[in-house]
Amino acid sequence: MAVTAWSFVRLKLRITGNGLRGRTARIVVFVLGAVAAGFAAVVGYSVFAVPGLLDNPRAAGLLFPFGGALLVLGWFFLPLLFFGVDDSLDPAQFALLPLPRRTLITGLAAAALAGIPALSTLAATAGTVDSAARLGGPGAAFAQVLGIISGLVLCVVISRALTSAFAGALRSRRARDLATIMLAVVAASIGPAQLLLLGLVNRADWDSAASIATIVGWTPLAAPYTMGLDVAAGRVWAVPLKLLIVLVVIAAMLWWWSRTIEAAMSGTAGSRAVGRATRKNDNRDPVARLLPRWAPRSRFGALMARETRYWWRETRRRAALITLAVAGVFLPLSTVFGTGGAGAGGLAVLVGAIAPIGLANQFGYEGSANATNLATGVPGRLEVHSRAAAHALFTVPMLLLVAAVTGFAAGGPGGVPAQVGMLLAVYGFGLALVLPISVVFAYALPDPTTPFALSSGGGISKALPSLGAMVGALIGAIPVLVAAYLLGPVWTWVGLPLGAGYGLGAYLIGANLAGSMLDRRMPEVLAAVTTR
Amino acid sequence: MTIPAQRPPSEQPSAAMSLRGLVKNFDTRLAVSGVSLEVPAGSFYGLLGPNGAGKTTTLSMAVGLLRPDAGQAFLLGYDVWASPAEAKALVGVLPDGVRMFDRLSGPELLAYHGLLRGMPADVVDQRARDLLDVLELGVDNRTLVVDYSAGMKKKIGLACALLHAPRLLVLDEPFEAVDPVSAALIRDILQRYVTGGGTVVFSSHVLEVVERLCSHVAILSDGVLRLHGTLAAVQADRPLQDVFVQVVGGRVATGSELAWL
Repeated sequence: MAVTAWSFVRLKLRITGNGLRGRTARIVVFVLGAVAAGFAAVVGYSVFAVPGLLDNPRAAGLLFPFGGALLVLGWFFLPLLFFGVDDSLDPAQFALLPLPRRTLITGLAAAALAGIPALSTLAATAGTVDSAARLGGPGAAFAQVLGIISGLVLCVVISRALTSAFAGALRSRRARDLATIMLAVVAASIGPAQLLLLGLVNRADWDSAASIATIVGWTPLAAPYTMGLDVAAGRVWAVPLKLLIVLVVIAAMLWWWSRTIEAAMSGTAGSRAVGRATRKNDNRDPVARLLPRWAPRSRFGALMARETRYWWRETRRRAALITLAVAGVFLPLSTVFGTGGAGAGGLAVLVGAIAPIGLANQFGYEGSANATNLATGVPGRLEVHSRAAAHALFTVPMLLLVAAVTGFAAGGPGGVPAQVGMLLAVYGFGLALVLPISVVFAYALPDPTTPFALSSGGGISKALPSLGAMVGALIGAIPVLVAAYLLGPVWTWVGLPLGAGYGLGAYLIGANLAGSMLDRRMPEVLAAVTTR
Repeated sequence: MTIPAQRPPSEQPSAAMSLRGLVKNFDTRLAVSGVSLEVPAGSFYGLLGPNGAGKTTTLSMAVGLLRPDAGQAFLLGYDVWASPAEAKALVGVLPDGVRMFDRLSGPELLAYHGLLRGMPADVVDQRARDLLDVLELGVDNRTLVVDYSAGMKKKIGLACALLHAPRLLVLDEPFEAVDPVSAALIRDILQRYVTGGGTVVFSSHVLEVVERLCSHVAILSDGVLRLHGTLAAVQADRPLQDVFVQVVGGRVATGSELAWL
């Protein structure tokens, strides 16, 4: 039996189906993903259909090129971030089968087209057909149909070719670690980017934007999505030219893909540089390499040094720190743009409550590696204190920065010490809640070698305890807030010692509780965080 | 510190490890049903069994990583679940299928283990250098353990278990994924350790290694201890392979089925 593209599509659908069989959590995630994709499709369709409904060719002339270019760029970059979004058909799985390259490529392309992202893209861009039909009649609609189909093929081929070209690099741990961190940076900067965008839109120069849009319309990024508009504007001659541009780029991408696919197929074997000595050798004694000079040469020192290393070397932890840093500085600052600094202190308190959340599933980060501490019999209190100390080593300087930023945003450095006290009170109370939670509600995180296996199912119910801790930290800070209100100007002076003392006291109670719970439950925690 | 008080010589236990009726259920499956085993001090004890027999589960319960549903485990005379600090202090463990703190480099990981065991920093440094040297892991290597090959991971895990010079070593599949040269080296280290008075308990499904090294053997299948005793007693003048197949059951030869091959 000849292997056709249809075989690949069937294989992909079968793999997707089998992956869901009998696993409620995965089915829920799949359905949620499908609903989200459907929602995106409906929103995209509506947005693209608006210029037609308003009978506004000018808006269409801006929206289609920029929207289309954004879409193609999305297909371009997302696979680099999410290698494994569609790993159902990894080229490496076909390495041992006697398949001609042409069959393989048409098959993989067809399989990629038969996926939810492709369908969603097609549905969303169909809104441009709607607009084109209203603006330019059936001829324009027909040209736009050609456009969105060729555009979809372009998107899929670009993303596949790129994944294939970078398959080797994306399989290495370092590259994937980097991608995880990039993702965190992107996610954390969405808020600031929105502010920036709003500012730009406010002083935008629409005429120059229109001429840029025309130019973008002639690049492969947006050429597919502007064909109908050209017909509507009477430039029928542009359609075959733009179609040609798109087809040439598709052909070039296919050629590139066919060049790189063999490297991608052999990628799983022998691509890891094993045991390679990185950078220059380190001649220091082992203990000096683990511990900074100032740390005590003791169990506490070792535990804390290991935690400190992990906050930096373990990508999910580093991502959490980066997110916290961006949020911590950005949240108080945002009030300067909006309300002229009023409420900055309140938002800073929120940062203090968010900070401990990084420890809410602290045993989940290392999973089964915690067996080391259990096998060597580390007492629970020592474990909890050392972990909290390492976290504070990163977080407390950050809170100081937040307090400083807040102080200046609110218009005076005089309030900074009291603000520090307030933040420490919230942080300490948050730790007191989060540490016992990390013992009782520990859960396994996905294997860190597949950083994009983000959903292990039931994500929301697992996040509930830590959300509760955040709210709890805010409630726990009420006595300090009341004290600040009642003491008035005196608070400026006593705020720091009072707040720090309150936070420390709360922390000690919570940490000791968590420590004695850990002594009783450590084997159960280990079992809970071990992935099977 | 967790070094236990010295016991009077008369109380010195003769069994380095003693398991009494260990039971473990996973969901509905009975993984280990009532394993009792005495490991004499100074013995080289091999725990054999096919995949899924319950070897890892048994050893995990024995060293205090997994809480048994029933039964007791004693290490060097201390109940591992009643007085864990004393029991764990003189035992070195190499778990299988368990991650290490692998975002540390090899030397950092050894320093971590040494300090956790309460050893002085200079002793940790000197022993860690020795072990890294002997096991050819590179004293000045900066590679993180997560980027080690499977064999190197086994070796660094073994080094961590040996660092505090324990009296009992519990090793889960120490020869898995290890190249022949390293395997010979590990065998030599372990034999020397036993000659020096230490006790080794290890699991394996490589019969040749067990036959060559062990003084005692236990065969586990389906969570039940089928046979145990000295190697000579278990073998009874037959190759260990035959004993194993007979005890465990299963098919070792084909009939007419694969005639086309």
